[in-house]
Amino acid sequence: MAVVAARARRRRRIGRLGPTLLLVGALLFFTLPILAMLRFAMQRVPMVDLGWHTLFKKWTFGTITEAFHEADFGSTLMYSLRLALGTAVGTLVLVLPTTLYVHLRLPKARSFVEFLTVLPYVVPPIAIVAGVSAFFRPNAKWFLNSEYSLIPFYITLALPFTYRALDAGVRAIDVRTLVDASRSLGAGWFTTMFRVLIPNLTSAIVSSSFLTIAVVLGEFTIAANLLRKTFPVFSLELYNKSPLGGLALAVMTLVGSTALLGVLTLLMRRRARRRDYTAGRRRRGASASPATDVATAASLAP
Amino acid sequence: MPFIAFLFVFLLLPTVGVIRKAFLDTSGHFTVSPLGDALTKERKAFVNSIKVSLVTAFLGVIIGVPLAYAAATAKRPRWLRTVVSAFSGVAANMGGVVLAFAFISFIGAQGLGTKILKAFGWDLYDGGFQLNSFAGWATVYLYFQIPLMVLVSLPAIDGLKDSWREASANLGGTTLTYWRRVGIPVLLPSMLGGFMLLFANSFSAYATAYALNTGANIVPVKISFYLQGDIAGESPVPFALATWMVVFMAVSMGGYFWLRKRAERWQS
Repeated sequence: MAVVAARARRRRRIGRLGPTLLLVGALLFFTLPILAMLRFAMQRVPMVDLGWHTLFKKWTFGTITEAFHEADFGSTLMYSLRLALGTAVGTLVLVLPTTLYVHLRLPKARSFVEFLTVLPYVVPPIAIVAGVSAFFRPNAKWFLNSEYSLIPFYITLALPFTYRALDAGVRAIDVRTLVDASRSLGAGWFTTMFRVLIPNLTSAIVSSSFLTIAVVLGEFTIAANLLRKTFPVFSLELYNKSPLGGLALAVMTLVGSTALLGVLTLLMRRRARRRDYTAGRRRRGASASPATDVATAASLAP
Repeated sequence: MPFIAFLFVFLLLPTVGVIRKAFLDTSGHFTVSPLGDALTKERKAFVNSIKVSLVTAFLGVIIGVPLAYAAATAKRPRWLRTVVSAFSGVAANMGGVVLAFAFISFIGAQGLGTKILKAFGWDLYDGGFQLNSFAGWATVYLYFQIPLMVLVSLPAIDGLKDSWREASANLGGTTLTYWRRVGIPVLLPSMLGGFMLLFANSFSAYATAYALNTGANIVPVKISFYLQGDIAGESPVPFALATWMVVFMAVSMGGYFWLRKRAERWQS
């Protein structure tokens, strides 16, 4: 018996060898490029000399602080942040009432609205750019002249998963009861919306907004082609002028958006736990996880 | 509803505009020739785009599914699965400028990875490798393709029930039988769906390719090239290219959603 058990254990250990190698390989493939970029951006060593013997030498934040002094740094970063804010607010104004309305009044239309929200998958950013020059350029030039004309396209771009984040939030609370209770206590629609529903949807609103911001801060295609100098466009421009500066900005973007998505993951997990708690009867995992939708949606953006 | 009006103006009208322009010749008459012209004129771009999308989608599935399986079934360390899925979320979102820069520092001519390989006696650039070539693009694309596949296949892998493996073993099946008769057939819709999603994902990727090489000969970069070069918007070529792009996307995303519905049958 002991021999059989030992043999089984050994077979199991050998069976784990393949997966372990695979995981280690993946670890290398996915971390080394980032580490290499960190060294390029944050070590004041000539590129040709980067190697083992210089591994711990001359690390500095200098390249990043120098990038702060670039003429366009502040203006492009602020521009991107304004766009992000506008897109996040616009998304809420547009999508949240729609989600609530569909939930309360038109439950039959839900799958249709869901279908609409995944349409941006089919028309990728570069096709939107072509569409802008086919439709807006001849018909609404005044619109394109505004520096905020990117916002509607960013709202569309982020829609597949902002909708999902908000919809999940709406489904997790009992909207109908809340609305009925609030109305029967004499509240108008405005009060119901701002004093009852929105406070209950905070985490959905926060996650939708974070996702929007992450997409806007990384979006390059539409901005570059419509000749709008956003932060990512500026990063590439600076890279072509002085590679170290461009790399420093890329490191900044990476750290910023990773932090944002990290916070988001934590929030989602907390919400999921609370939802399991309060609505255990609800069937979980009917669709792919929110993280999947986030990833599929946002990765179609580049 | 304002929502539908919004999508009508900012999504449908531009798309219809593109398609309409693809069917008009320079004097405004209806014609189907731009669509054919775009295919013959930019054949190389289509071949490159399709090739890089097929290869990275295929490799993405082949590497992503086992990776997801390895992460999902590992008992220790316990945080492994969380880390893998959280990281996949970040990496699948990476693209464009940041990703291109990371790979230039990694396996560019002066890259650290290139140096490490050289220290082991493998001169990457002696073997004709270039970051700015088919193999280079494919390597870079895999950085977001594999994590995307991991995210897509994790729910399907969680749907594989231990009792199925036990049942298979009780009936005398080996590990191989289990995978051939149970595991792979159950995962197949997810894998095919993931393949189509990954295909669409890399077919439409513009920023990464552009940041690596502003003259990359692939369809998205070509669309932008024609649009920039033709301020008056007279030539139908970019619009015909964009129409093809929308057709490709519609087919592969449609396939993805259909297969995802099928795959969810096992995930209750």
